[in-house]
Formats: sequence, structure tokens, C-alpha cells
Amino acid sequence: MKGKRFVVMALVLLIMVGLGAQGQKDPGVAKEVELRWASIWVGNDSKAPAVEELVAAYNAKNEGRIKVVIEPQPDYNAYEQKVRTSLAAGQVPADIFTIKLNPTTATFYQSNLLMDFNKVMDGAWKATFDAPSLAQSEIDGVLRSLPMETAILPLWFNMDLLKKVGVNEVPKTLDDMFATFDKLKAAGIAPTSQMTGDTNAWTSMIWFSHFAVALGGPNVWDKPFTDKAFVEAAKLIKRMITEYSTSDAVGLGAGGSGGHFLAGRTAVFSNGPWYAGRADLAATPFYDSIRIAGLPDAGPTKDFMISRLQANICAAATKDKAREEAIVDFLKFLTSKDSITKIAETSGAMFAIKTDFRPTVDLKRQFFIVAEGAKATASDLEAALGAEVTLEFAQQLGALALGRISAEEFCALVDRKIER
Amino acid sequence: MEKRKTILSGTLHLLKWILLLFLLSLALLPIVWLMISSLRTNLELQTSPFGWPRQFQWVNYSKALHMASLPRLLLNSVTVAALAVLINTLATSMASFILAREFFKGRDVLYTIFTAGVLIPVISFMVPYFSLITKSGLYNTLTALVLVYASVNIPVSIFLVTAFMKSIPKELEEAAIIDGCGFFKRFSTIILPLSRSGIVTAATFCFIYSWNEFVMAMLLTSSIESRTVQLGIKFFTSQFITDYAGMYAAVVITIIPSVVGYVLLHNKIIGGLTAGGVKG
Repeated sequence: MKGKRFVVMALVLLIMVGLGAQGQKDPGVAKEVELRWASIWVGNDSKAPAVEELVAAYNAKNEGRIKVVIEPQPDYNAYEQKVRTSLAAGQVPADIFTIKLNPTTATFYQSNLLMDFNKVMDGAWKATFDAPSLAQSEIDGVLRSLPMETAILPLWFNMDLLKKVGVNEVPKTLDDMFATFDKLKAAGIAPTSQMTGDTNAWTSMIWFSHFAVALGGPNVWDKPFTDKAFVEAAKLIKRMITEYSTSDAVGLGAGGSGGHFLAGRTAVFSNGPWYAGRADLAATPFYDSIRIAGLPDAGPTKDFMISRLQANICAAATKDKAREEAIVDFLKFLTSKDSITKIAETSGAMFAIKTDFRPTVDLKRQFFIVAEGAKATASDLEAALGAEVTLEFAQQLGALALGRISAEEFCALVDRKIER
Repeated sequence: MEKRKTILSGTLHLLKWILLLFLLSLALLPIVWLMISSLRTNLELQTSPFGWPRQFQWVNYSKALHMASLPRLLLNSVTVAALAVLINTLATSMASFILAREFFKGRDVLYTIFTAGVLIPVISFMVPYFSLITKSGLYNTLTALVLVYASVNIPVSIFLVTAFMKSIPKELEEAAIIDGCGFFKRFSTIILPLSRSGIVTAATFCFIYSWNEFVMAMLLTSSIESRTVQLGIKFFTSQFITDYAGMYAAVVITIIPSVVGYVLLHNKIIGGLTAGGVKG
């Protein structure tokens, strides 16, 4: 009996000593800071392998001090929902995460949960960023996200198809463009890949943005949507869908729109640089004949390019100095020239961090040349007016194309969704 | 006259079969298309969505298994779905027993409150669930998903099981009471076994929901260790590019357990649905 009591007492003592020891720290060893990064650059994303390698290299270099853990966010729409829900619940989705900065997500700037980079960035770090992108990311003097990935949204011309109808150059004016389109139509080729489906009517939204900026200037998005520039742009996009696109354009999604171009069924397409990294595009017989260009002269604004901040990086605000330093240290590493060059090399993506990198692949290089050659840049509709306005644009675009509403009515309907 | 009747009957018979085959093909076509598409290349899919593979791309399946860690995610899904079903059926069968077989004040109000949950969209629970799970330290755990899925399905399960239990004749229970059965014995030896079909139906709904759910899984987890197979499917889509062929192969792999489950239990599921519907 006595023996049993002794064993029980010894066990209790052992557990208590063990539990007590758990709360103690070895003063000689600093605790490792673990940073969670809710990354969208995972899975099938072309930036995923380079990002994974960079994080592994960073973790190896900072072993025992800082550890970055990638939390894969494979579905972008669901990821955005997660960010919104987390912030609504008064929490950050992770220590580091990305957003697509537009009027919808700009409301996140009101949250003190996000770090204000103006308070932690020195001049040298700021100087590595493209100044307009950095300025665009600052709202009311607060910089709660850093511009990371940028993109231009030009037009893609399949020159093999244009040459078939005797056109050897990218059209310079709108009249030239329509004349080329008429020739393509006569040869049985659908001139463009338009679409009204999905939540943003993506490829047609790009065309519309080009028309609106050409007619109303780079600051056209500040005007009411009932402005003449938008009404004229609406008439042009209707013409593009009804006369110069495939017959399934109304209701078509981005996959179908891109599929027509990939299949060589359409001659002109519109999309960002990420599309140039597709293996199935590289496998097409016309890959080397693709020319990237801006919209032919269509109004008073010329030689401009539609561009957007594609991904801005946010961080959790924290009172823990060590954690804050760790976040800044990792972001400095991630946004360094070397890291960005590495990501750009494998993905062909464009970034708001200044580097000397130029892709070796001609199609990817053309994006950099076109971006550098533009005298002005302007946002696209989605980047300028937000997700809800773009959704309304997409929903009404089908009605416009089918003739159920006029261009004026179309613009009035979209205008109602703009919060002023 | 007799010959005309035979011809008419034969024609009607033929038309009936044509209609049935048409409806069958309508139901099966998407699945067949999915299976064929899972063996094609992305370029083939984009350029001609309804074609036949030039060469069967079995590599899509190996890519699906490796790229999205599908085996691990499948195991997680099975664990989450099984535990959610277990907790849900255990809780709702006991609750339904009280609501269906016991008489007390406010019983109907309680039943209405429980079942009214069917009318509330799950998406509206996102913020409360997220707060609850993170504050209880269950974020990024399988337990979080098990508890949420079991809870979300309570209204449907109570609706089905209560309706089923109400249909059991009172005389059986009265006879058991005369034989000395107490409260727990009546539940465990009389009502529960007789409600098996109803419980299996509710369990099937709970399983299908837990297996297919995506939004909550995305919201409440952040690593492969605690994610389910539906998130794995999304690994083939990025912000701009979708690997449709790989995704379709992953979809085919993920629907196999559901199909097997349905094949094994379809008699009970249909029986439970019709029984509850008629007698409830």
C-alpha cells in the first residue's frame, strides 16, 4: 500500500515538474517567430515554384529565428471571401496575405488590423518600388498594402490570321481596325474573342476600358458613368460583340473566349501577361506570330495602356516588436530585386518592384516593351470602380448586346452601382 | 383490330423506352463527358470541348493525385464526413426521439426552431462560425470542420428523423412500457432500430454535405493537414489559369466514394425518404 502511494506521489511530482518546466524559457535561446503567409501563388499558379523556393531559402537562412509557413489559398474568389470574413470578424486571415486593390478592397484600409507600411518603410526600401504604383497603394496617407504584381491589359493580334487577309501590320486607327475586321469576317474568321459571362465579362471589359480611356482620357473613371465617353464606348463594345465576335459571345466565359483564340478561330484577343505563360498557348502554331499592342487610335487619348495593380501584399499589425521586425525582414527579402527577378523569370509576370529583368521569350518580352512605350497608363474598369460595378457591367452587357437596352440605358444602370 | 392494338401497344412501348433512354442519357451525359474530358489535354478541351481524346492522358490522374495531395485530402474528407455523420446522427436521433415521442409544453415551438434552420443560408453563418472556431482555438483543425458540418445539418436531420419516428405506432412503445422498458431502453431498443431508414437518410444527407462542402473548409482551415478534398480540386485553378484536365481527373477521383456509398445504401436512402414523406 505504502509502495503504491509512493509511486502515485512520484508520478504527480514528475508531471508537475514537467508542466512547470514547459512554461520556462531558456534565456539563452530566442524564440523562433513563425509567420503565416496566406499565399495565392500556389498550385497551378506560374509563380508558385519560384515563391516556394524563395521561402525555403529564406527559412534556411533564418533557421531558429524566423520561419515563414505558406498557407495555400487555391481558389481566388473563395480566398477573397475568406479575407473579407476574417476582417469582419476582427481578425487578420494570416500574418501576410495579398489583396487585389480596388475600391471594394480599399475598405480594408479602414481596419487597424493591417500594418501601415509608411511607419516601417525606410527611404531605400521605398525607392525600390515603382513610384506611381506605390502612390496608388496609399490611401489618405496610409499605406496598408505594398504593390507587388502589376499587369498591363493589351490587345493580342494573331498575325498569321491577319496576314491571311492581306494585313501585315497591327492596325493604327479605329477605321483601319474595322476594315481589317471586315476582311477577316469575309474570310470566315471571327475577328475578336468577346464575352459577357463570368462576374466581370473579362475580355470585353478590357476592350471597353480601352475605348472609354481613349474617348474620355486616363481619368475617365472619375466621371459619371453616364458621360458621353462611356456611352460611346458602350456603342463600340456592342458593335464588337454583335458584328466582330463569335456567335456565342453573349453568355460566354473567359475559358470560352480564350479557347476561341487558342483554337485560331479568332484573330484578336485581350488579356494580361499571365496568359503568355500558358503551355497550351505555346503549343499553338501561331505562338510566334502573336503581336501585343495597345488599342488603335480611337479618340483624343493616344499611346496609352490599360494597367492595374494585380496583387498588393498586406501584413498584420502587431504590437509584438519581434514579430513586426520579422514581417518587415521577410517582406524586404520578398520584394528585393533578386527575389522579384527570380519570380518574374519563371512566370513572366510583371511587378511593381524595379528590376532590369526582361524575358527572353519574345511574347513575354513584348509586354515589357509595350508597357515602357506607353505615354500614359489608366486603370481598367474593375480596378477603377470595384467588383460590384464590374458585376453590373457584365450583367447588363448581355442585355446591351441583345438590343434589350440602349447604350444610354446601359450606362445609367451601371452608374447606379457606383458609390460616390 | 387485334393487330392494330398490338401495333399501338408496341409503338407506345417503344416510345416509352426512347423517352427513358433520352432521360437516362441526359442524366449520364455530364458524367460521361467529365470522364472523357479528364483524359484529354487542356488545348483539346479549350478548342473542342466535346471531342474524343487524341491520346488518353492518364497522366492527368497521376498529376491529380500528386499535385493536390489528394490521398491525404481524401483521408481527411473521410474522417471529417464520418465523424460529422456520427455526431449528427447521435445528437439528432436523441433530439428527434424527444420531439416525436414525448409530450411537453413548447414541443412544437422547439421543433419549429430546430427545423427553421433549413431556411437560413449557411453563408450567413460564416462570420459567427469563424469567430467561434478561432476563439476556441480550433482554427485549422479537422475538429472544427467536424463540429460545423454536424451542426449545420442538425435542422435537416431533425426534420427527417422526427417525421420518421412519428410514424412508428404508439402501441409498440406502450407494449414495451408494460414489459418494463424505461426511457432509455424505449429509445435504444424500440424506436432507434425502427427508425434506421430515416436515420440512414439523414446520415446520407449529412455525409454528402460534409463531402462536398467547400466554403467553410476554405474559411476554417489553412494547411493540407486539415483540408478536405474539395479544396484539392481547386488546386488546379489559379487566379488566371485553370488546368481543366487535371481538375476533371481530380473530380472523378473525388466522386468515387460518394458513388460507392450511394450504390451500397441506395435502397435505404430511397426507402427512408419515401417512408418519411408518406407517413410524416
